[in-house]
Amino acid sequence: MIACGRVRRQLSSYMDGDLEAGPARLVAAHLDACPACAARWRSLRSAVELLAEAPRLECRDLISARVGDRLEVETRSAGLALILRPTWKARPLIFPSLIPAAAVLVVVLGLAFVLDRDPEPLPAVVTRGAESWGPTAASGTESNPLFLSDEVSAPRVRTAAPITDLLAALGEEPFFVETVVARDGSVSTVTLLGGNSLQAGPLLEALRHERFEPGRRHGRPVAVSLYRLISRTDVHAPVT
Amino acid sequence: MAAGEFALRPAEALAGGASLEPGLVEQCRRGDAQAFARLVALHEGMVFNLAARLLGDPEEARDAAQEVFLQVYRTLGRFEGRSTLKTWIYRIVVNHCRNRQRWWRRRRKDRSFPIEALTPAEEARLAEQGPRADGPEERLERRERARAVQSALLRLSFEHRAVLLLREVEGLSCEEIAGTLSLPEGTVKSRLSRARDALRCALANGKEVR
Repeated sequence: MIACGRVRRQLSSYMDGDLEAGPARLVAAHLDACPACAARWRSLRSAVELLAEAPRLECRDLISARVGDRLEVETRSAGLALILRPTWKARPLIFPSLIPAAAVLVVVLGLAFVLDRDPEPLPAVVTRGAESWGPTAASGTESNPLFLSDEVSAPRVRTAAPITDLLAALGEEPFFVETVVARDGSVSTVTLLGGNSLQAGPLLEALRHERFEPGRRHGRPVAVSLYRLISRTDVHAPVT
Repeated sequence: MAAGEFALRPAEALAGGASLEPGLVEQCRRGDAQAFARLVALHEGMVFNLAARLLGDPEEARDAAQEVFLQVYRTLGRFEGRSTLKTWIYRIVVNHCRNRQRWWRRRRKDRSFPIEALTPAEEARLAEQGPRADGPEERLERRERARAVQSALLRLSFEHRAVLLLREVEGLSCEEIAGTLSLPEGTVKSRLSRARDALRCALANGKEVR
């Protein structure tokens, strides 16, 4: 009878029927005669049968759907895996992804071309009257008179206008008048700011003939605007 | 079975697909999406079952099965037809699961087991796959056996587990296993002998066997 160790090493081949007829008979005879090896043979067969009879595991999810989704993503958007692969081998995946990319590029370029036309020229900015906006005249001149302040002294009347009789004829209504006294003491302009303009003509004409000691700033004569409220009873001058 | 679920398919049912392989592979190489969908449907049960047994975790197996088919799609051009498509896919499954297990081990996700064993829900589902006429005791016994087998499998080394599953569950010959694992046939036979004995010990006393 062959040794137990040799038999046990051959049990797997004996199970598969790989032993020649002679060695197979020897193993069978040993198993009939040796209870320990027979028990081992039975437990080995039982273990293998248990494994073979184990139910197959079932996947409840859609593997094919998941695979399909992944492949669709890969074919539509070339990923890093494509970059790492030879370009020629990856062409079945790259080329289909280029088609939508090219379509998107055409659409974007078309939109850019359509939307990038030159717009209608904007209407010219109205500049009428702007030519009168020249450099501002120096302050203290007749065209840019000063107002009375701590620095600017008020012109003093040297020759008052004979307006008493005129005012008596014009009634009770007061007149609000701006008089620009020039640097030489003459009246540059007289402007009616308030009052009946239809009646104020003679009054304004009389006021233009007034003469003043000119107003001064830092000792130098300057043109000054005087604002005066003139009525039959009172003459307020100067008013600022 | 509800739509969108996969039925249990015994390994024998896949044998009929072998005659379709040459035409199917050629269609897939030409970029026929429908042909690739048929290829996936033909092998997905086998791929998932093998991955789940190797990894011991249905969730991991689902991800692994997806990656395996993506790899099949990408590398189908290199398939030379020297083996059957099925054994070629088996090789991809085993290699992918081996790499996945190494990845987990590097991150210390496990101690003695590669990945956690089957969940109680998975065990219960396995127990219900027997004949309808079985009583509660038989279903309980079947559930215990399924749990014991899976638990014993996970105590084996990955290489022993792989050779056992390919031989006893998937029904490959030693020659086919040798082609799948890129090993000499003699090495496969000796490894299979040691793996069977390791499984016997694991089932007998529950000890870890390497």
